[in-house]
Amino acid sequence: MTIQETYKARVKKLLASGTVKMVIGYKPGTTADRRRPHFIRTPEEADQLVLDSACITNLSGYLLSEGLLSDEKAVAIFLKPDGIRSINILAAEAQLNSEQILILGFDSNDNQVTALEGEKVEEFTTLIESIKEQAPEALKNPLLEQIEGMTPKERFAFWQGEFSRCIKCYACRQACPMCYCRRCIVDCNQPQWVNTSSHTLGNFEWNIVRAFHLSGRCVGCGNCDRACPVNIPLRLINAKMAQEVLGAFDHFSGMSHTQEPVLASFKKDDSETFIL
Amino acid sequence: MAKIGVFICHCGENISAKVDCKKLAATIAEHPGVAVSVDYKYFCADPGQESIKKAIRENHLTGVVVAACSPRMHEATFRKACAEAGLNPYMCEIANIREHCSWVHTDQDMATEKAADITRSMVEKVKRNNKLQPIEVPVTRRALVIGGGVAGIQAALDIANAGQEVVLVEREPSLGGHMAQLSETFPTLDCSQCILTPRMVEAAQHPKIRLLTYAEVVSVDGYIGNFHVKVKMKARYVDMESCTGCGDCITKCPQKKISSEFDCGIGKRAAIYTPFAQSVPNKPVIDKATCTYFKNGKCKICMRSCQINAINFDMQDEFIELEIGAIVVATGFQVQNNAVYGEYGYGKYPDVITGLQFERLASASGPTFGKILRPSDGKEPKNIVFIQCAGSRDPSKGVRYCSKICCMYTAKHAMLYSHKVHDGKSHIFYMDIRAAGKGYDEFTRRTIEEDGVSYLRGRVSKVWPKMSKLMVRGVDTLLGKPVVIAADMVVLATAMVPQPDAKEFAKTIGIAYDEYGFFNEAHLKLRPVESSTAGIFLAGTCQSPKDIPDSVSQASASASKVLALFSKQTLEREPVVASNNEATCAGCWGCVLACPYNAIEKKDILDRSGKLIKRVASVNPGLCQGCGTCVTFCRSNSLDLAGFTEKQIFAEVMGL
Amino acid sequence: MNEIFEPKIVAFVCTYCTYAGADLAGTSRLKYAPNVRIVRLPCTGRISPMFILKALQKGADGVLISGCHPGDCHFTHGNYHARRRWMVFRALLEFTGIPSERVKYSWISAAEGGKFADLMNSITEDIRKLGPFDQYNALIKETEAPATF
Repeated sequence: MTIQETYKARVKKLLASGTVKMVIGYKPGTTADRRRPHFIRTPEEADQLVLDSACITNLSGYLLSEGLLSDEKAVAIFLKPDGIRSINILAAEAQLNSEQILILGFDSNDNQVTALEGEKVEEFTTLIESIKEQAPEALKNPLLEQIEGMTPKERFAFWQGEFSRCIKCYACRQACPMCYCRRCIVDCNQPQWVNTSSHTLGNFEWNIVRAFHLSGRCVGCGNCDRACPVNIPLRLINAKMAQEVLGAFDHFSGMSHTQEPVLASFKKDDSETFIL
Repeated sequence: MAKIGVFICHCGENISAKVDCKKLAATIAEHPGVAVSVDYKYFCADPGQESIKKAIRENHLTGVVVAACSPRMHEATFRKACAEAGLNPYMCEIANIREHCSWVHTDQDMATEKAADITRSMVEKVKRNNKLQPIEVPVTRRALVIGGGVAGIQAALDIANAGQEVVLVEREPSLGGHMAQLSETFPTLDCSQCILTPRMVEAAQHPKIRLLTYAEVVSVDGYIGNFHVKVKMKARYVDMESCTGCGDCITKCPQKKISSEFDCGIGKRAAIYTPFAQSVPNKPVIDKATCTYFKNGKCKICMRSCQINAINFDMQDEFIELEIGAIVVATGFQVQNNAVYGEYGYGKYPDVITGLQFERLASASGPTFGKILRPSDGKEPKNIVFIQCAGSRDPSKGVRYCSKICCMYTAKHAMLYSHKVHDGKSHIFYMDIRAAGKGYDEFTRRTIEEDGVSYLRGRVSKVWPKMSKLMVRGVDTLLGKPVVIAADMVVLATAMVPQPDAKEFAKTIGIAYDEYGFFNEAHLKLRPVESSTAGIFLAGTCQSPKDIPDSVSQASASASKVLALFSKQTLEREPVVASNNEATCAGCWGCVLACPYNAIEKKDILDRSGKLIKRVASVNPGLCQGCGTCVTFCRSNSLDLAGFTEKQIFAEVMGL
Repeated sequence: MNEIFEPKIVAFVCTYCTYAGADLAGTSRLKYAPNVRIVRLPCTGRISPMFILKALQKGADGVLISGCHPGDCHFTHGNYHARRRWMVFRALLEFTGIPSERVKYSWISAAEGGKFADLMNSITEDIRKLGPFDQYNALIKETEAPATF
């Protein structure tokens, strides 16, 4: 039996037995290589379930849909390791109770999908620890290194070029599981911290604020990057911030559901070589 | 529609010398929303304040900016004036164009331009100020006095005699501090113990004073009127309740060769001891570090000698928690380690001693019962050299400041010596004689004129031993000649320095300190007994070097501050506190974790049927201290800080 | 056009340490460059990264953030939180091409009037050498231009 079929059977069983009230998974999208979220409430609906290497979207954000979790009934969700880390962060930030979430874990490498052992988020701790070990290597990226090698002027020009295309559609925000605020700072107009017209200055500010708010929280799922209609390499900035908090504070986002947010905590001996 | 009044102060010529105030007033008058823009010689003076009030009333001003000195100076003054004119005091802001502008810049055009920027940005801020009301918080009417020297005792007695409760904490086994170590005190030569010990007893027996000796303050949380204090009661190994202070244990203790801290190493004590004969409480403690039982597991002679079984080797440190309304810090000083002067041979030659050691020699209750004898051979010295400023006023090896008391006590030492050793000769090397104080100059004159003490103006370069003498080489700058004196004893007028742990302690209780570790007053001239933290006051030498009258005065001043605070049931606090917009709060609780005061709670928002709608953060304004750390953390911009709101700061920056 | 470039620098400081340090520089009559404008906040913990962006938008050529030394914070640990934030924000600015030479951080206590004055001079001199922040100014200018179709 393929993994897809194994999981399909499992989903049907979970729903039929009433263990969960809903399973969030994937179904075919508009084109052959695209998948869309599938909210499965009945065993029959599970027939449409797809699980293959095209299932790349981090679905964890859907858990925060208004009212979904408020009845305290369990929900199962298909997640890759980055999505599992998202669950930890959302739990640490009190957005959900991880007890309520049943994880159907999978990973895909070289077009091969493999199943991950475990249901509760704590059961993936060893896996996440091994991902943290590899993070310094995994976060490396040729374009990122190329940007780092530039002079500040060149870097500014590079991002100016990228951000000038931004149309402030906020698809990046919508796609991100971490952007759950009821009111985003960019929607705050008293005062108007971020210029909302889509001129480059406002775009600069918006993207800087977005990256800052995701520092130490982004799991690098790439939802933002894929959602961007003008192809701004948003993931690069997030990866850079992830490198920074890992290097400076040994903080790797989503390690556990009790992890302290990196910017709401401190150590007395944090680095301060840059302070005069 | 904003109607802002801008009042530009010349501060005599302090501002107008560098800032063109007329031009500034004209420039600001053009700024949108400014209804009045005037300059005047002194706005802080009565006519100035009256003119502001008049302008508020006549023009129905909605906000006021006073461009003058630092808000740390006169913000309160001008806010009060505004309130008197019927304007909410928090609608007044200060543009600091003196400390931050006229005093520090030389170019008039650039200074004027900067002053305009500063003023404009404050106008923009004040347009967005909110009418705030002071917050009322309850006051716990119980004072904590830290340190049981003369300053602490005085403060505790003054507060207690006014009927308020006091907890007096002393880290040594007895009250008394440095004053208890002194022989006679200048300028009256009355015996230090004779005047101090009755006060020690009074403090210990006072019904309103709870005395905690051998105890240390380990943490202070909370804020003015509502401090939570944790005190460590160090294990004495002697039961305070049952011990009668008979002293049998001390007599029997086999360890008697321990250098006495109280006698500055000149005398000895046992491992179970009271620091001195008149200790209060007169109940011993066991020094764990030197006790034979604690070192070898065998002895317990004291335990067997105690007829009422007051000794308990199993005693542990205990922690007690106190609710406190105000704190007086009177933690005192220490004498500088004179080993920094290798050339004087302190620590190398036993007859080179500090002034404090000389006090112990001269004290009737000291190790020599008041006889001046050399530590090396117990002989009476016939020639003593005193070296003043051995540490003070010496940036290279000692401290830059003047320790204030050394001129006086050195004169006193020389006088006492001439009274005790009639054929003795003393020489004092000095830089200046600083004898400012009631009866002080008369005292030093007497030393010179009646007691024949020889004063040599100059420094000592070296002290070295020769036979049984100490050779002192110095210079008499008035004669312009080097001098060498064969002395029997050398006394160093050592600098007063902060307690070794003063900086750590300041951090523990949350007050500011200077480069040396002396605690900072809120204002050197106008608020000299308040620390930088509201509700914490300073007394005595923990703030700066002082003599006894000054320490006692400051202690009484601190006590009066405490009593003023305790005169009301509640206290008005600055309404600079955070608040949360519950509608936009995402409930991520980052602020709860970030708040240094645990002032943010998790709050459930329920619908009418009691069903949970959402959970949000909620700020307790009584606990919030207004740092704004939560506001900066808040990603959704739901939290804000009154007085420094997002809108205000935004406008301030945009106004620059 | 041989005029000396006078940079515009905005400083965000806490009221208990650096603001008091600046007051001390004043009462000590130390002289320093007049290019810095101070915005007073209760604590470094209150200094939001947004302030830095807004100062730049307002045309600042440099920004200074300053507060109490670690361990000295009036609010016990506002500056520790601030330090973390700065560490992260600084890296972010650097990565997006806003050079760290233009946004500086310091600890200045209430007793360090001298350090404050020296820093005002050195930061002014440093930014003067860098020249105006042309790249950012171009973005600001763009916002003021009428829309073109």
